[in-house]
Amino acid sequence: MLQLIADGLVVGSVVSLGAVGLTMTYAILRFANFAHGELLAWGAYLALSMLGILLAIGGAERMVPLSPFSFGWELVVAALVACVGAAAIALVLDKLLFSRLRHGAAITLVIASFGAALALRNLLQFLWGPIPTYYSRELQIAIPLVPRDVLGGMRITPDQLLVLALAAATVVGLHLFLTRTTLGKAMRATALNPQLARVAGVDVDGVIRATWIIGAVLATIAGVLAGLTVQLRPQLGFDLLLPLFAAAILGGIGNVYGAVLGGLIVGLAESLAVPLIGAEYRAAVSFLVIIAILLVRPQGLLGERT
Amino acid sequence: MSALAVEGLIAGYEPDLPIVREASLAVAPGEILAVLGPNGAGKSTLIKAIAGLVRVYGGRVLLEGEEITNAPAHTMVRRGLAFVPQTENVFANLSIAENLDLAAAIVKAPRARVGALYDLFPDLARQRRLAAGRLSGGQRQMLAVARALVVAPRVLMLDEPSAGLSPKLVGQVFEKLLEIRASGVTIVLVEQNVKAALAIADRGVILVEGKERVMGEAQSLMDDPAVAELYLGRSGRHAGEGA
Ligand SMILES: Nc1ncnc2c1ncn2[C@@H]1O[C@H](COP(=O)(O)OP(=O)(O)O)[C@@H](O)[C@H]1O
Ligand SMILES: [Mg+2]
Repeated sequence: MLQLIADGLVVGSVVSLGAVGLTMTYAILRFANFAHGELLAWGAYLALSMLGILLAIGGAERMVPLSPFSFGWELVVAALVACVGAAAIALVLDKLLFSRLRHGAAITLVIASFGAALALRNLLQFLWGPIPTYYSRELQIAIPLVPRDVLGGMRITPDQLLVLALAAATVVGLHLFLTRTTLGKAMRATALNPQLARVAGVDVDGVIRATWIIGAVLATIAGVLAGLTVQLRPQLGFDLLLPLFAAAILGGIGNVYGAVLGGLIVGLAESLAVPLIGAEYRAAVSFLVIIAILLVRPQGLLGERT
Repeated sequence: MSALAVEGLIAGYEPDLPIVREASLAVAPGEILAVLGPNGAGKSTLIKAIAGLVRVYGGRVLLEGEEITNAPAHTMVRRGLAFVPQTENVFANLSIAENLDLAAAIVKAPRARVGALYDLFPDLARQRRLAAGRLSGGQRQMLAVARALVVAPRVLMLDEPSAGLSPKLVGQVFEKLLEIRASGVTIVLVEQNVKAALAIADRGVILVEGKERVMGEAQSLMDDPAVAELYLGRSGRHAGEGA
């Protein structure tokens, strides 16, 4: 039981980070970006390639782990570079595709994002191949946090603990950013009323760029963490898409804190459902969450009725 | 030189359907100009076109002699032109302080300026942590005006600041406008409330079907039977009763 909760929170943290980016894009640009999952996958794979380059430069066969974690400093650097790469992809996509459709109907943007997702996923598979892989083959010893005789006990690996810590730190950082910085306030202002934001002097195009960058960076962190704690596979983004949307809708689409909460709940629900319905059907949980929330509380947990 | 001048302005939401049709007007420095006219005359469209929110297809907008026609809306505050839209003119999801701090930070206004505005609007100062969406109509309007003033504009444009307010609150808002004008700010006041607007304005212009019709001193417009007629003819409302 406790173990399922711990696993669920780890998965949920990854989903939260991805869902925050998705919900921010929605808040600022008013469309559901189906390509967001691919940003997670691209972030994860860009980090993989960068890792390979760094190891080749260093002449090393593999990373020397930063004990107690399974990875070395090379992955940290690779992830940072991947953040830049994913942000570039998001900005180019916006420039080439979304910005040209912005003045049309929202559905056009949604369909365009569907197309972009397909293109990105296939390109990724073409470049990196279909076979799942790992950043590190290092085996990790799970730390027993709760002994076995208490509710089945709980063991967690240092990498998983890092996922939880990083997700928590990111959420705190994001909160400070949104409430304390001018850009953060400008983003909240733009989300509410872009026209008034412009009247108040906010460069809305700049805010849009910042939104893509932040969303892509969070997506990369989520993708790398998913790769670290599960595995890297080309359909990583596609598999996470439903949980991301479930989390964003559950929390109230457009609401950053709601996305975090929604992500954790979706992660927990998936994890707790496995003993009941079997691992093959865990993906269906997100779907049920979406349906349930749309029926019971369509504005989401933290969303406001409009 | 005029603080703000509009010359032969053509503007609208679609190129082949101009709403503002070769409108011209000029505001002298330190003046309050009332822009009046029946519903649908294009007053809001005109003021939005000046603010860079609606596309200008012909003519020019000059701010202190400098052309700002079709300049991006977000650059206007830096040029010294502030605008208070008619509705949704505060960020309801931000606190009072955040509304003002954001506007101040964008133009890198000195800290003291927000403080001075709290002096001018003590009601806002008392509840600065409150979300703007929870303010009453009158206080919202005050916040909208305060937000526009943070940038220390030389020209302030307001779109129907009296809309939806009780006569008492209208009086309070307009009194603030007189104070603001006294500090040297030029004001363009779009209004349906003809009587209240002309009472504080120096001059007025009446816009009909996107073009200025009657222009003159506020006092003379107030007594002008042609003005009342324009209103009766167009909107079926008497000049003094519009809100
Ligand atoms: N966003 C818009 N898109 C298209 N037409 C508009 C829009 N806003 C106003 N209009 C039209 O422009 C005309 C003038 O409206 P407006 O400028 O709001 O007049 P006023 O402020 O004098 O009442 C009206 O016929 C109105 O239907
Ligand atoms: Mg109007």
